[in-house]
Amino acid sequence: MTHLVDIILSFVLLSIIFSFGSSRLQGLIKALAFQGVVVSIVPFFIGHDITEGGVLFSLTTLLIRGIAIPFYIYRFIEKVAAHRELEPIIGYNGSIFTGLLLIVAAMAVSRKFSVPSASTSLLLLPTAISLLVGGMFLLMARRKAITMILGYITMENGIYLVGTTFSVRAHHIVEFGILLDVLAGVMIMAVILQNIKLKMQSGGEDTSLNIISKE
Amino acid sequence: MVEILFLIPFLAGVLAFFLTAKSARKTLVATGALHFLLSILLWVYQPGAIIPAYFKTTHSGLLSLLVISLLFLLISIYSTAYLDIDHIKKENVFIGTMLLFLSTMTMVTLSDHIMVMWIAIEATTLASAPLIYTHGTPASLETTWKYVFICSVGIAMALLGSVLISLSMEANKVDVPMSFSALATVAKNLDPMWLKAGFIFILVGYGTKMGLAPMHTWLPDTHSEAPSPVSALLSGVLLNCAYLGIFKTHKIMVNAGLGDFSGTILMAFGIISVLAAATFILRQTEYKRLLAYSSIENMGIIAFGTGLGGLGAYGAILCLIHHSLIKSSLFLTSGNILLSYGSRQIEKTGNLAGHMPKTFVAFFAGFLGISGFPPFGIFIGELLIIIGAFQAGRTVWAGIFIFSLCTIFAGFLNHAMKISFDDHQAPIKITEKARMIWPQYVLLTTSAVLSFWIPDALYRTIVNAVVAFGGGF
Repeated sequence: MTHLVDIILSFVLLSIIFSFGSSRLQGLIKALAFQGVVVSIVPFFIGHDITEGGVLFSLTTLLIRGIAIPFYIYRFIEKVAAHRELEPIIGYNGSIFTGLLLIVAAMAVSRKFSVPSASTSLLLLPTAISLLVGGMFLLMARRKAITMILGYITMENGIYLVGTTFSVRAHHIVEFGILLDVLAGVMIMAVILQNIKLKMQSGGEDTSLNIISKE
Repeated sequence: MVEILFLIPFLAGVLAFFLTAKSARKTLVATGALHFLLSILLWVYQPGAIIPAYFKTTHSGLLSLLVISLLFLLISIYSTAYLDIDHIKKENVFIGTMLLFLSTMTMVTLSDHIMVMWIAIEATTLASAPLIYTHGTPASLETTWKYVFICSVGIAMALLGSVLISLSMEANKVDVPMSFSALATVAKNLDPMWLKAGFIFILVGYGTKMGLAPMHTWLPDTHSEAPSPVSALLSGVLLNCAYLGIFKTHKIMVNAGLGDFSGTILMAFGIISVLAAATFILRQTEYKRLLAYSSIENMGIIAFGTGLGGLGAYGAILCLIHHSLIKSSLFLTSGNILLSYGSRQIEKTGNLAGHMPKTFVAFFAGFLGISGFPPFGIFIGELLIIIGAFQAGRTVWAGIFIFSLCTIFAGFLNHAMKISFDDHQAPIKITEKARMIWPQYVLLTTSAVLSFWIPDALYRTIVNAVVAFGGGF
């Protein structure tokens, strides 16, 4: 029987392929927002006991991962008026092919692990692995610093998916702390990039900054 | 009540943002002194925590806390004189961030819950980022970006590792709190496959922050670009915090009967770090980067000793304490050198002994201490690690270890001689202020005294911390 959550997760897998093939930052951010929303609501579908605190926490996560972070980065791109082209190190077609290979490999690897509570969904572990490795791929395969942040968030989404779905142990307050750290981290990274951009505009070409900011 | 220790610097830090530069400096030193006093009281009375599920005083935590506290107090005193010369635009923000940094580091030493420790270690990265960016130059911006990004991605790996450890509990239906102390007692019941995977990710994650090669790439840039008091904090204190995460996880592994697995990996990372440091120290052109690579070397030594267990683990803790004391003193001294010569290049310095004799004494004594010269404690620590390696039959490892240490000593000696005695005619820019000298002397003297005489309470705490690894005598 196909579980409802598997249908949603299959869309997440598609969104990974989409983000690998996307040549524009906006597309990537949309994929990221979608992933953020899905990983936040997955706990509702996999039969954990839902408490009031749990609902509240999931909604907060959704607000931060699905809306606040993507929106913040979207605004950031508008502000610094970055060129929308992503300057891939590995081409888009190659990236899409890598994405497909990644998902197949994640499926194959997941079968080898005996994961508690994995019986509820076939795609949970493969999706988590794909997000994690996919995030790393984006981090390495695109030249722009902003794409690195997006890759980092994708990775975090993958880790979150493993954390919330396979283990119900951590308290919400602890998970909230983790979420705040991630949010603050992303904001600080964006602020640094913004400053780099400003310095580049005011100070002309500076070789030391060219390495990270070909925007 | 242990939470007070990180709440006080947190509140003081927030307060400092709204103060004038002058009041902020007073707050900095006063908070440092109060923190040190509270750390000693904590050591003596060892009270419980308000939230015992998250915080606890452990032997390893207490050791790190005392070192952090002493170092911060001395560095804060040094900073007040340093800030007179090295003008920073928003001094209150700089000081406030320093206090927040102290708060997060204290939280690391007191946290017992795996996830809370992760939160605290990631928070140290975020709190220290503005400190590195203090000078606002393009180079410092790039360095801050590199630091925040590499460490955040690295620490994300540690989060995954922590999640995998919780999976090892789920898999075998172990129902205990997710704290290091609880897990260490039920370690044998945890699922070994997930536990091993968790350890590897935690080692890579916190290892990035600790500066273990090959994940060390952020460290030399950061330590070199940051203002010297911040470099001293980063090197002397922050690296220990990351080590604490690895140390506690390794303890779970040893209790689970997987000590050989985790120990060998730790030793491998340790040796790679020492070798990497040896390679880079030989052809180093900047003295702050030289010190940074020496930190990588020492973190490698500590990881190697911890992985070895037995005498080696005891030696590792000795190295940890003495490295913090001596390296932070060296970074503070490097601040004096930088302010005087106006350059980080070794070749633009020289005749330190003639220009600034007091700074020279601190520099040269620090150099002797850090490169494992007797009587300083690092010599004893390294000797114990080498003896431990031979006892454990790891002769090849010990051989590589000794060879690397000799190479590093030769390289470091070459640079130290240049800085101290080479010809240098141009006038220097500052006079030696007492507050920029005696914090280093206190640190070095503490290290020298601890080399000959370890107070009984301290000795027992070290032995208790490493008893799980068969450490002590």
